[in-house]
Amino acid sequence: MNKNDMITMATGFERLCHWSLAISCILLIISGFGFLFKIEAIGAAFGGFNSMKTIHNWLGVVFIAALFLSAAHWLKHALRFDGDDVRWLSVGGGYLSHKVKVPPMGKLNTGQKFAYLMVLTAGIAISVTGFVMWLIPENKQWVLLSFFIHNVSFIMIGIFIPLHLYLGTIANPGTLQIMIGGKVPYWMAKKKHPKWIAELESGKGGHSA
Amino acid sequence: MARMGLLVSPELCIGCRACQVACKSWNQLPGEKTKNRGGYENPGDLTPSLYNRIRFVEAPSDKEPLRWLFVNQRCMHCEEAGCMQICPSPGALYRTPEGAVASNKDKCIGCKLCLAACPFNVPRYDDKGKCSKCNLCVDRIANKMAPACAKTCPTGAISYGDRTEMIAKAQKAGYQKVYGQADLGGLGALYAFKDGPKLYGYDEKPQISEMLVFWHKVLKPLSYIGIGGVAAAAVVHYVAVGPHKVKEDDDHE
Ligand code: SF4
Ligand code: SF4
Repeated sequence: MNKNDMITMATGFERLCHWSLAISCILLIISGFGFLFKIEAIGAAFGGFNSMKTIHNWLGVVFIAALFLSAAHWLKHALRFDGDDVRWLSVGGGYLSHKVKVPPMGKLNTGQKFAYLMVLTAGIAISVTGFVMWLIPENKQWVLLSFFIHNVSFIMIGIFIPLHLYLGTIANPGTLQIMIGGKVPYWMAKKKHPKWIAELESGKGGHSA
Repeated sequence: MARMGLLVSPELCIGCRACQVACKSWNQLPGEKTKNRGGYENPGDLTPSLYNRIRFVEAPSDKEPLRWLFVNQRCMHCEEAGCMQICPSPGALYRTPEGAVASNKDKCIGCKLCLAACPFNVPRYDDKGKCSKCNLCVDRIANKMAPACAKTCPTGAISYGDRTEMIAKAQKAGYQKVYGQADLGGLGALYAFKDGPKLYGYDEKPQISEMLVFWHKVLKPLSYIGIGGVAAAAVVHYVAVGPHKVKEDDDHE
């Protein structure tokens, strides 16, 4: 493969899933923030708190569906850990300085793996507890527990999203391209995801590229 | 404005339920078909159109073979109100200048979280799912009138006035401990119980769920710091370390 050829990192369907996840997630965070902190302006932006509730509930359905579909694409990459992950952590992923040598990574780096798994867990928790509050509000004990877990997961996701947005855009130029066109130049993929490329080239990658 | 309160004295109550009727009348709440449950207590629980009711408790003992307690059950207008803490819609539950916890059905979104957070199992929901509960007759008290229940009570078992005076009144009548004096920051409905609160159907120490308290006191403030912190960290990182540019020319492997 020529170094300037484009290589597919995300198929059209993967991108569709991720955009649905991103949009629903951001709207859920904003409306959820409006509920938790009782912010009139946010309620008004959603046409009042009554309609914000309906929107929030149904976006939750979109969110969990998109989360599962997205996770189906990356889960196998996120569940593989080896010695390089330990080395990655010991150099702080190279985020603290550009001078250190970062060990070779697969399709996801160690930080991404942990963050994605954390978000998958929080995402499942926030959805299940959301459904409890939505569907069985009469059950006091379950509702109180759900309210708590829902909020804790909200904080976890609320911390992840700004980080993810930053690292996925301006902090790592070229990354946003994956969400738009789905492709990156071969040389870049090879540099950032050497183990994944090696697998692809040996025919074991199992990716549609 | 001084905080106003109700003083409920079960010992004075004759169980006539004029308060139930007066409340329905003033608040324009429809009557409901109920069931004969083999006793005089009726209805058996608060409903969306029953904001207060008399709970009938039979407590016979050797000394007093016929002891029947009549307890006015209603929203307690808590100072630390679980319902208000959990409610996600601004203005749906609000504090009146007199200290009552009132609800505004136009603002209520019908999530029913307030019932889960209420230590007294008070909120009910109307056919549109909106919170429906005693609001201490907001419109009356705003005009310096006693709530309908207190106004109508023929024996003085429910009285309304300055909360401190209500406490003093109960103490003068011989009740050393007034239920609700200090519970949950002080309840707006005070009870002069002759025996332990349990007998009357109340918790010894009413409490808001620890999880709700922990969320409000600890996690909620932390979440501001956490979410604000990562946003700030991103800015600092961008300025101090800068973006990670993958350059093609140093690609020789
Ligand atoms: S008794 Fe329940 S509904 Fe009434 S103020 Fe207290 S928490 Fe709210
Ligand atoms: S049901 Fe209404 S009053 Fe109760 S918590 Fe929800 S929005 Fe607030």
